[in-house]
Amino acid sequence: MTDAPFIEIEDLYFSRGEHEIFRGVNMTIPRGKVTAIMGPSGTGKTTLLKLIGGQLTPERGRIVIDGQDVHQLSRKALFALRKRMGMLFQSGALFSDLDVFENVAFPLRVHTDLPNAMVRDLVLLKLQAVGLRGARLLTPAELSGGMARRVALARAVALDPELILYDEPFVGQDPISMGVLVQLIKRLNQALQLTSVVVSHDIKETLSIADYLYLIADGQVVAHGTPQTLDTNQDPRVSQFIHGEPDGPVPFHYPAEAFYRDILGEPPMTKTG
Amino acid sequence: MQSKFSNGTARITRLGRRGCDLLEALGRAGIFLFQSAIGVPSREGWRLWLQQMHFVGVLSLAIVLVSGLFIGMVLALQGYTILVDFGAEQALGQMVALSLLRELAPVVAALLFAGRAGSALTAEIGLMKATEQLTSMEMIGVDPLRRVVAPRLWAGFVSLPLLTVGFSVVGIWGGYLVGVEWLGVFEGSYWSNMQANVAFINDVGNGMIKSAVFALVVTWIAVFQGYDLVPTSEGISRATTRTVVYSSLAVLGLDFMLTAVMFGGL
Repeated sequence: MTDAPFIEIEDLYFSRGEHEIFRGVNMTIPRGKVTAIMGPSGTGKTTLLKLIGGQLTPERGRIVIDGQDVHQLSRKALFALRKRMGMLFQSGALFSDLDVFENVAFPLRVHTDLPNAMVRDLVLLKLQAVGLRGARLLTPAELSGGMARRVALARAVALDPELILYDEPFVGQDPISMGVLVQLIKRLNQALQLTSVVVSHDIKETLSIADYLYLIADGQVVAHGTPQTLDTNQDPRVSQFIHGEPDGPVPFHYPAEAFYRDILGEPPMTKTG
Repeated sequence: MQSKFSNGTARITRLGRRGCDLLEALGRAGIFLFQSAIGVPSREGWRLWLQQMHFVGVLSLAIVLVSGLFIGMVLALQGYTILVDFGAEQALGQMVALSLLRELAPVVAALLFAGRAGSALTAEIGLMKATEQLTSMEMIGVDPLRRVVAPRLWAGFVSLPLLTVGFSVVGIWGGYLVGVEWLGVFEGSYWSNMQANVAFINDVGNGMIKSAVFALVVTWIAVFQGYDLVPTSEGISRATTRTVVYSSLAVLGLDFMLTAVMFGGL
């Protein structure tokens, strides 16, 4: 294994319509480590994962995964690269026409020629790890949001990828499964030497598993470092986020005109959030 | 004056933008069709195609055949009341068969297909997009154009011409029921006039060409609308409506053009 970073993001610019999401983001994601990307909601964390996965194309800058520039690849090469990645979607995104077992078996069936008995064993192993071996015959519609996300995790690791992108893995989990998930992500990383990218704003859980953290706000990386260095970071934006304080330089409110004017109906009555 | 002028330019700008949007959408749809329909299917691809033949073709069979029966029966009834005035009711078989083969079977089957199968295709693919199933498939390294779209496209291309054949056959039989069994047209003249006056290439062949064109257009519209929609509940409902409206208009417009080319010289 080399020490070269697994993902390099250089000078990334991306916007949706008029709204600029990234303005020159630079990141280095080390191989075999858990890297967390944190930031207030609406800062484009999910968008960043989609850019890494090659589903969106940046306006400027590049993303290099293991030496390959994602957005210069042909369609075929991009799909080949994606076989080496797993992505856990916020919604789970399970295939609604397949049951839990077949959802987890899907990557194995399409990318390998393994005999059925072996597919079965592998799927049951993955489902056991997320605690849902007993739910294998349920359809996605019968699962709760948290369960669907755990099945999706089993599917994301079915092919033992080199890189896993986690989009908000902890949202909607009860305390028990949350603890198990945190352990699972950590164990997967240590046992298989995976590179993991976790996008989240659950500070406690994320700090407990991350080796390295990036904090993004206003379309840029505002701070990065190990959990210890960020915990003691003096930047008010960083400490406000890490310690979850409502008052500080990062506004809680979506941009709007002054509250009293909005309520009292003084002109101009503009549409606000 | 000033505002009138700027109003005018704004209108022209809007028109231009619409034109550009339309061209861009057509381009996207063309690339989409090329990327999904071209390619050699794997063994899994054949299985998926067969599955879609069931959903798109077999499940549309009932509505198409029943409509074919009624249309054949109505044709015979209407045709008889006109032909009998001229003492030409023995030409009923020929009239029913030609109307069905050249026009009604391809057109009506395509319209029914757009409503029954096209709208379902749009809604299904749209919902898969809205629930990120297509995105997650991409991230697993499977191209949804090949896995989801291609089997549905090919199922549509193949099943509509077959449904059209069924429509014609049942329609001609419906015409026989009404004309011969009920109104008393001589059975021999019903069939022999049909046999003598229906040309295989000119009538059956041209009808099938029409049907193949409609199959391509209707399925293409349905699948593209599903793949390209805005992934919200409102977006899905709009795209489903668009599928039916665009397909119907395209079928009727193309029918006129094809008829003009095929039969205009006669």
